[in-house]
Amino acid sequence: MLNIQNLHAETAGKAILKGITLAINPGEIHAIMGPNGAGKSTLAYTLGGRPGYAVTEGLATFDGADLLAMEPHERAAAGLFLGFQYPVEIPGVSNLQFLREALNAQRKQRGEEPLSGAEFIKIARAEATSLGLDHEMLKRPVNVGFSGGEKKRNEMVQMGIIAPKLAILDETDSGLDIDALKAVGHGINTIMRKPDKAVLLITHYQRLLDYVKPDFVHVLADGRIVRSGGPELAHELEREGYVGIDGVAA
Amino acid sequence: MTLALPSARDEAWRWSDLGALPALADAQPSGQPRAIDDLWIDTPGPRLLFVDGAYDTTRSNPGPVRIGSANPDASKHALGRLAGTTGWSLTLGRDAASETIQIVHVATGGANHLAAEIVLDEDATASIVESFAGEGWTNRAASIRLARSARLMVARRFVQDAGFQSHADTAEIGQGASLATTSLVAGAADSRLDGHLSISGIEAYAEAGGALLGRARQRHDAQFVVRHAAANGQSRQIWRAVADEQAIASAAARVEVARHAQKTDGEQSLRGLLLTRTAAINLKPELEIFADDVKCGHGATVGELDRQALFYLASRGIAPLPARAMLTRAFVADAVARIGSEAVREAFADTADDWLRGTIA
Ligand SMILES: Nc1ncnc2c1ncn2[C@@H]1O[C@H](COP(=O)(O)OP(=O)(O)OP(=O)(O)O)[C@@H](O)[C@H]1O
Ligand SMILES: [Mg+2]
Repeated sequence: MLNIQNLHAETAGKAILKGITLAINPGEIHAIMGPNGAGKSTLAYTLGGRPGYAVTEGLATFDGADLLAMEPHERAAAGLFLGFQYPVEIPGVSNLQFLREALNAQRKQRGEEPLSGAEFIKIARAEATSLGLDHEMLKRPVNVGFSGGEKKRNEMVQMGIIAPKLAILDETDSGLDIDALKAVGHGINTIMRKPDKAVLLITHYQRLLDYVKPDFVHVLADGRIVRSGGPELAHELEREGYVGIDGVAA
Repeated sequence: MTLALPSARDEAWRWSDLGALPALADAQPSGQPRAIDDLWIDTPGPRLLFVDGAYDTTRSNPGPVRIGSANPDASKHALGRLAGTTGWSLTLGRDAASETIQIVHVATGGANHLAAEIVLDEDATASIVESFAGEGWTNRAASIRLARSARLMVARRFVQDAGFQSHADTAEIGQGASLATTSLVAGAADSRLDGHLSISGIEAYAEAGGALLGRARQRHDAQFVVRHAAANGQSRQIWRAVADEQAIASAAARVEVARHAQKTDGEQSLRGLLLTRTAAINLKPELEIFADDVKCGHGATVGELDRQALFYLASRGIAPLPARAMLTRAFVADAVARIGSEAVREAFADTADDWLRGTIA
């Protein structure tokens, strides 16, 4: 589904990703762990096409198409979802209005009919309920005044409504209390744990991986994947930290 | 007639470009108005149509509005005084309430002038919506006098396709009375809006605000003064200016608080959004306070669309143009949201959306 080869990227003139190779197949959940500043968010942003993140070498294909040649909104319509480490606040735009516009924009790009207001609200309410997000939050401006946990639940509600093929979730678990973590973990499983979908889960903690069992775990350090393994690798990192892993500076 | 216009050296006129007015004053209207059906808002009440400043009897239903002489009390205003003393007037007696009065002004070129006078007696209530469309120079002056506890809401949208739209309000607001004016400039013509609202009775409320949307080489300029001459008054001036391409949008809002106008609560919020760096926005909040126990706050900021928000919208599949329109709409929403009537508010929001589609999408 996602095929990354020797990806190099820089931001603000500084090389951050230094040759990442990673293949994600349908049905798989991959976790990426790594120390602060390793380049995890940069990888997510580069794949999402954020302005200011320039690919200097390598390639990435999504379902065979050149992902890096697409505009950010086209990547979304192609089925890529980016869960933000720091979801953005948008004053004056209601969550519902934003989500409806997003979903219909994607449907339009895929040549599908737009959903009516009533159809949309039904879907939005169902997703909010399943993620434990108060329905009132749907009417509020996007993320404005939301707590850290509410913002992350809101990201998951968006993911549920948009129903992407591939979700790249950047620290969706950080800042969550135990109940929210369970809700988010449950959300990821319900929405994304399907044979035709895949997830790239960026996290610092084993805890989320107790709820969302990864098939593969990778360690990213200094812009490179320095180690890959199965779920047991996450436990090892939890016990021993990153120090000692090849390529991670002490 | 030689037209005496203020010079750009005059502080109050330096952001306006009146250069097109002499030629318009000399030109003749074509007399062929554009279609007006879409200018009526679907709300019950009297409707008045003026074509090139002339009242159209057959297509109007004036209700309590009288046509004839009006004293706009704009002798001191450089453009307002040109509006003359012919026009419409609304006088409501004690406790009277009018349905929303709609007035459509269509111009077909040249220049047209019209005066208005609105006088509400104690506890009277009125709501007026005006739409300005067409082309040419449309010049208006209105005088408003509100007696004790009277309430007036005025919403105006300036959507001419070409030419120049000027409007000058003068208002006296009595004890406990309330005046709220909202202006939306969202056409393709230049504009100059003036207001001098005077709070002359205690516990009165004055609000003047709106949105100025400019593109191409348009110039929009709003200059409002609220003068608190009595105690316990409240005023709000909320302006949103948006400029794209080579447009220049300017807003100056001033609060004057007289020595005896204690416990005045005045707020000014001026915000500008530059859609391109070739456009310009001028904002000037001013306070002149002679009383010592007042609460006056003001803020003026000019910014660009939030890049992070644009990427966030893109990451959810929203293309750049609709994303820009969405954020711009959110930016002007505050100003339009203050209109009391839902039908009018929605019509104005649609007008702003049409402008956004024209310029951005
Ligand atoms: N706009 C920028 N300008 C300069 N340096 C940047 C910029 N964005 C990221 N960086 C740098 O790139 C490196 C990688 O940052 P990134 O956010 O990708 O790390 P991360 O692995 O996500 O870290 P964390 O675990 O703290 O979220 C860091 O050294 C960071 O300081
Ligand atoms: Mg990060």
